[in-house]
Amino acid sequence: MSSNVSADLIWEISRNTNSYLVKRTHAQFSRDPLNLVNLNSRKYAGFVNDKAVGIAPGEKGGVVVTSKKAGSITKPSARATTTYGGNKTTRKTYKNVASQVAKSGYRPDLRQAAVARASAIRASQRTPKPDQEKKLRGNAAKRAAAEN
Amino acid sequence: MVSAKKHVPIVKKRTKTFTRHQSDRFMRVASAWRKPKGIDNRVRRRFKGNLAMPSIGYGSNKKTKHMMPSGHKAFVVSNVKDVELLLMHNKTYAAEIAHNVSSRKRIDIIARAKQLSVKVTNPKAKVTTEV
Amino acid sequence: MASRPTVTIIGADGKATGATQVLPKVFSAPIRPDIVKHVHTGMAKNKRQPYSVSEKAGHQTSAESWGTGRAVARIPRVSGGGTHRAGQAAFGNMCRSGRMFAPTKIWRKWHVKVNQGQKRFATASALAASAVAPLLMARGHQVATVPEVPLVVDSAAFGPAQKTSVALGLLKAVGAGADVEKAKASKKLRAGKGKLRGRRHRQRRGPLVVYSAETDGKDLVKGFRNIPGVETCPVDALNLLQLAPGGHLGRFVVWTSSAIKELDSVYDSKKGFFLPSNVVSQADLTRLINSSEIQSVLRAPKGEARTKRGAVQKKNPLKNKQVLLRQNPYAAAYAKQGLGSQKATEGKGKPLPEAFKQLLNE
Repeated sequence: MSSNVSADLIWEISRNTNSYLVKRTHAQFSRDPLNLVNLNSRKYAGFVNDKAVGIAPGEKGGVVVTSKKAGSITKPSARATTTYGGNKTTRKTYKNVASQVAKSGYRPDLRQAAVARASAIRASQRTPKPDQEKKLRGNAAKRAAAEN
Repeated sequence: MVSAKKHVPIVKKRTKTFTRHQSDRFMRVASAWRKPKGIDNRVRRRFKGNLAMPSIGYGSNKKTKHMMPSGHKAFVVSNVKDVELLLMHNKTYAAEIAHNVSSRKRIDIIARAKQLSVKVTNPKAKVTTEV
Repeated sequence: MASRPTVTIIGADGKATGATQVLPKVFSAPIRPDIVKHVHTGMAKNKRQPYSVSEKAGHQTSAESWGTGRAVARIPRVSGGGTHRAGQAAFGNMCRSGRMFAPTKIWRKWHVKVNQGQKRFATASALAASAVAPLLMARGHQVATVPEVPLVVDSAAFGPAQKTSVALGLLKAVGAGADVEKAKASKKLRAGKGKLRGRRHRQRRGPLVVYSAETDGKDLVKGFRNIPGVETCPVDALNLLQLAPGGHLGRFVVWTSSAIKELDSVYDSKKGFFLPSNVVSQADLTRLINSSEIQSVLRAPKGEARTKRGAVQKKNPLKNKQVLLRQNPYAAAYAKQGLGSQKATEGKGKPLPEAFKQLLNE
């Protein structure tokens, strides 16, 4: 990046209008794949920051951690992706995610968000529990059910 | 489906609607609130026994503003991609399927919301068939 | 700047050819969304054609007001009789078949003059923004597969690109395929009356191919002109409306290597125009703040490492045990030994003598 641009400047230009921003009544979210919490904020805006992490569900379970390669601001396709977990315990996944994101000193401030997102994704990969059968309320309903 | 984050109790200071002055007397005066502007108007002058006028004091606590009784806020979604935005916010936001979404796509949305444990406020609309 | 940044030139197969090109000076121009927006709104108006309603519309009747005393409004009313039209109100914008309010005129100020210096500033700014990947993404271009921005493709690769299939293949090879696909898939029917007025569809903009008319020749335009969303532009006639569509910075530009080589000379040849320079030479705030020049003149932070919290709610020591212990360390031992409830646990004292009770009740 030449010296006329910086992440701060890009953020000021694009914070109110960018293609990732989803504006609804009383809510604003971001579709940015490099945004860990889907919120439109400076800290989590992955497309703006020089270093950013994105976590997405993997094809065969597990999570795919994507991060921007340092010093490659002009190279949009320079990304590092690693897949974690799938058949491992979630704890191992979290540990791997945390060590890649924070322990290595890449973005230590994103540790909590990264692990939380990995956790949410792993939870969403389980087959959801079937809905509980509705209890019949009242005698009339029970009688009607008995008749059928 | 996940329950909402713990929050301070929702207090509605007033649950009745504010009706327009004299909307009860004339058909042509609709009940939608209009601020009385007349120089002698008794509602405007807040005389005893008259209609209450809306004011900022009736506003809700900022923490519980726009909150549904479940403790979620509604977020209108039109497709599965919109639901995925709520992955990290299923304790603060609930998905509300937009009115113009077909029943076929509603089923996809509801299924994805279930995986992400996102509450859907209108899961039965257009989806349940009449018995 | 000591050394100007360079870009790699990409070949027809999408891989770097090994050759590099020093970035033209325009790319270090300041990025000013405000100026670009302002110039764009002016320039966008200059292609308009006048329109208006008919001068006579709503006035083709000899209506006159009836004046007061007839218990009707004093609006002009159509004269005569024998038809329903007679006696109806006319002329006013609130009347049926009256004229509109403030009828549009062909002599409206349709065009806006934008100063040449401003236009050049805005174009330079838009060019600089087209080299910033995050701004491209914010504009919505699909550049995740693009190896580098600005994307410079070897001019030799454009030689056979007079055929659309070759041109499309080239765009795909250099990583611009996703953006072309996006533009193609975005074609939708326009809402409203514009459909009838030659603006039937609306669609996203794809990449802009900038070529050098002299060295590349204009034939490559033929290859690209039928690819939806893709536009072409000669480097000596760069257009802000293409570089910042809608006034939004960050158009995805594909440069031919000869075009980007020519860019410096294009700007050198503009008489009396100097490329705008940045007010601050370093836009990175964190780097500025953490620089030794600034850190050396800052005083040490005031206060202690742990600051006392100012306005916190006072806790009741009678209810909050931690606060109680902080104020009265003895309270722990007091509670443990049960001194507070000693009398109660010891039981009642000796009962009163019977004689005393009798005396009391006498």
